[in-house]
Amino acid sequence: MKRLAPALALLVAFAAVSLAQPAAAAYPDRPVKLIVPWAAGGDTDAIFRPFGIQIQKHLGATVVVANVTGASGTKGAREAKAAPPDGYTIYAMHDYIHLTYYTGVAGVKYSDFDPICSVSSTPAILTASPKTPWKSWQEFIADAKKRPGQITAAVTLGSTSHIFPALVERAAGIKFKYVSYEGLAPRMNALLGGHVDLGESNLTQKGKVQAGQLKFLAIATEKRSPEAPSVPTLKEVGLNIVYDVTRGLVVPKKTPGAVQAKLEAACKKAAAEPKFAADMALQGTEVRLLDRKGYAAYLKKTDDLSLNKTKELGLFKAPKN
Amino acid sequence: MFSQLLTSLAEVAQLKFMIPLVIGTWTGLIGGAIPGVTITMTIILVLPFTFGLDPLQGLAAMTGVYVGGCAGGLVTAVLLGIPGTPAAIATTFDGFPMARKGEPGRAIWLGTWASFFGGLLGAIFLVGLTLPLARFALRFGPWEFFSLFIFALSMVAGLTEQSLLKGFISGTIGLAITVIGSDPIMGAPRLDFGSEFLSGGFQFLPVLIGVFAFAQIMTDLEKAGDGRRLEAQAAPDLSVSHPAVVWEILKRPFLLVWSTLVGILIGVLPAIGSSAANVMAYDQAKKISKHPEKFGTGIPEGVIAAESSNNANVAGSLVTIMAFGIPGDAVTAVMLGAMIIHGIQPGPLFITQQPRVSYGIFAAYILAHPVMMVLQWLSARFYLRIVTVPKAILFPVVLVLCVVGAFALNNTVDNVYALLIFGVLGYLMVKFGFPLAPLILGVILGDEIEKNLIRAIMTDPDPWLFLTRPISGVLLALSVGSIALALWQHRRTQARLAGVEPEAEADF
Repeated sequence: MKRLAPALALLVAFAAVSLAQPAAAAYPDRPVKLIVPWAAGGDTDAIFRPFGIQIQKHLGATVVVANVTGASGTKGAREAKAAPPDGYTIYAMHDYIHLTYYTGVAGVKYSDFDPICSVSSTPAILTASPKTPWKSWQEFIADAKKRPGQITAAVTLGSTSHIFPALVERAAGIKFKYVSYEGLAPRMNALLGGHVDLGESNLTQKGKVQAGQLKFLAIATEKRSPEAPSVPTLKEVGLNIVYDVTRGLVVPKKTPGAVQAKLEAACKKAAAEPKFAADMALQGTEVRLLDRKGYAAYLKKTDDLSLNKTKELGLFKAPKN
Repeated sequence: MFSQLLTSLAEVAQLKFMIPLVIGTWTGLIGGAIPGVTITMTIILVLPFTFGLDPLQGLAAMTGVYVGGCAGGLVTAVLLGIPGTPAAIATTFDGFPMARKGEPGRAIWLGTWASFFGGLLGAIFLVGLTLPLARFALRFGPWEFFSLFIFALSMVAGLTEQSLLKGFISGTIGLAITVIGSDPIMGAPRLDFGSEFLSGGFQFLPVLIGVFAFAQIMTDLEKAGDGRRLEAQAAPDLSVSHPAVVWEILKRPFLLVWSTLVGILIGVLPAIGSSAANVMAYDQAKKISKHPEKFGTGIPEGVIAAESSNNANVAGSLVTIMAFGIPGDAVTAVMLGAMIIHGIQPGPLFITQQPRVSYGIFAAYILAHPVMMVLQWLSARFYLRIVTVPKAILFPVVLVLCVVGAFALNNTVDNVYALLIFGVLGYLMVKFGFPLAPLILGVILGDEIEKNLIRAIMTDPDPWLFLTRPISGVLLALSVGSIALALWQHRRTQARLAGVEPEAEADF
């Protein structure tokens, strides 16, 4: 007991010091929290974890990835939006944010944040369960036309994984039945087990295709991917769809300009690291660096597109505020 | 296969891998023992330190955290009656009464040895049956998950203490808590009364720690008012006869194997993990027991069931990541992240393409168990100190640690408020004789039941599928059987207690 007392006093003192941090010091003087709104082990997480390692080298502060999950990524977005605009909370933006806004899932909009940089681009692949009978795109489309509304598709409602099959549905004149599965890992489990027929995936699932546990039906790129040369593009099969998911970093609005510039510079250097490109290749992803201006323009463009798409597809609901 | 395992065991047994493994296990023991700090948080804390290491060294450290964390949780559960991690909830049911009866050493070592045996038995399944287990897990669609969770929920009937009605009310409160906040499918706000605080819903950890820690500490504090000194219990002696403890476990081989199986199966199914596995194993042990009424009074069966299942659960959750490269829980998700960062892409061919890493993880898992035993033995004298520290110092420290853990979960103060709210709720429930375990079970299961019910209906609106799909049907039948058995056991116990008046209905 007597020997414990000084130790306890020290603990209390330590706690007091760490709580009373001085507010004005050179940014960054403490760890930066990177909010990833999807589960650890998912594709967004797998892109931002290696990126976090690279950017912390150039930023000079520890970057802690926080997976704030739930409600189609909405929880994380809300938390990031509400965070103090001091550069200590950055948000891993995914193109879905426009969609959750226009499908009425969440009241968080891309313009609630200031863009820092885009980081990566991942092409979408329409993927089927091994339990489905189709051996090719043609067999799939013929079956889908025969059985409208009976082929199930695992999607995160109102997210890119929902829009992509919806685009295919509309262009091909077929109809899917949607089932909600949050994130890539549960979606892949459901596909592997044959509990759903279809879903969106990407080149990270190549290994499972080679092992015969999944089937790639078509990829939404301009040209066939060298990573999966036997998979036809949607353009080849007559659907004019090119679809990818771009991810980047944003900060809450009103974050000081100097802090934003510092983050942008660190982001540029991190994205240029060859290690990062190698990590992204493992993720079926290309490095796609856009600076603050470029990313802002890109976000504006995809926002307009998303508004049009959700309206076209009948998914539009009045945004809530 | 076994030659590869032996090679890997020999490799990991080198100092180069044993050092990170020992440090990881030790960190896990500490993290696990602090209520409010989960194994996931500990492993995330360890992750950055592994970046500079060889991938297998890093994974050995993380496997150590996982195994050590499970064992650490039992120390707090036994000595303070507060689960150090969600994996040790059921350990409090019998471990804490046993310690209070003056046998803290027996309780800790029963738990530790049960963890050891459960973990190693689990390893046999993990190494020998990875693919069959993983394939079995894939057969679980939304219907099967729904029915499994209903089965888990049916345990509420077995976990009530004197009054069935109070048990059910407690379980219902737990389920109702999960309804608050955004709904898990559409994100629509529910029961938030327009409040930003409520709209986020409540996370599991602050509820668990609030209910258990606060209620336990307040109940102990009350005794101070009775004029009793807030001093340590008499004769704090943690030394026990190890052969006797080991014999207590091994003379119940069926209980050990059964609890291990429950742990493995819940671990293989990606959803609820160790927080439910230990409660399920405890409930199963009570059901197969000849004297279910003694559960909760500090008997060895309760400790063995809970602790062997939670270490086996670790083996189970390693199965899916090995077989498909899909994480089974938050801890394995972090391990997956670590592999990707090291340029290893886990997938279906992981074991064949990366035998060094995959069998290295198996080896690290196996070796972490003896390491955990040695560390537990070395730490015993510090545990003694927990027992001897005056409560007036111990309780504030524990509460501070709880608050820090709740805050660190998301770095939001909201979780600290939640901790306080549920602390008061838990205390009131204990005061009025409501059992806490059903509430916790409701909180663990609520969201998952809802999600899978909606998924099942979205896939196919036919409600009969819940009964006609074989696994789902069997699980639902088991749920009915489980409730019936619990009611029968309850009635029999009540009849025995009532003695001459077997039809005592007073509490029903």
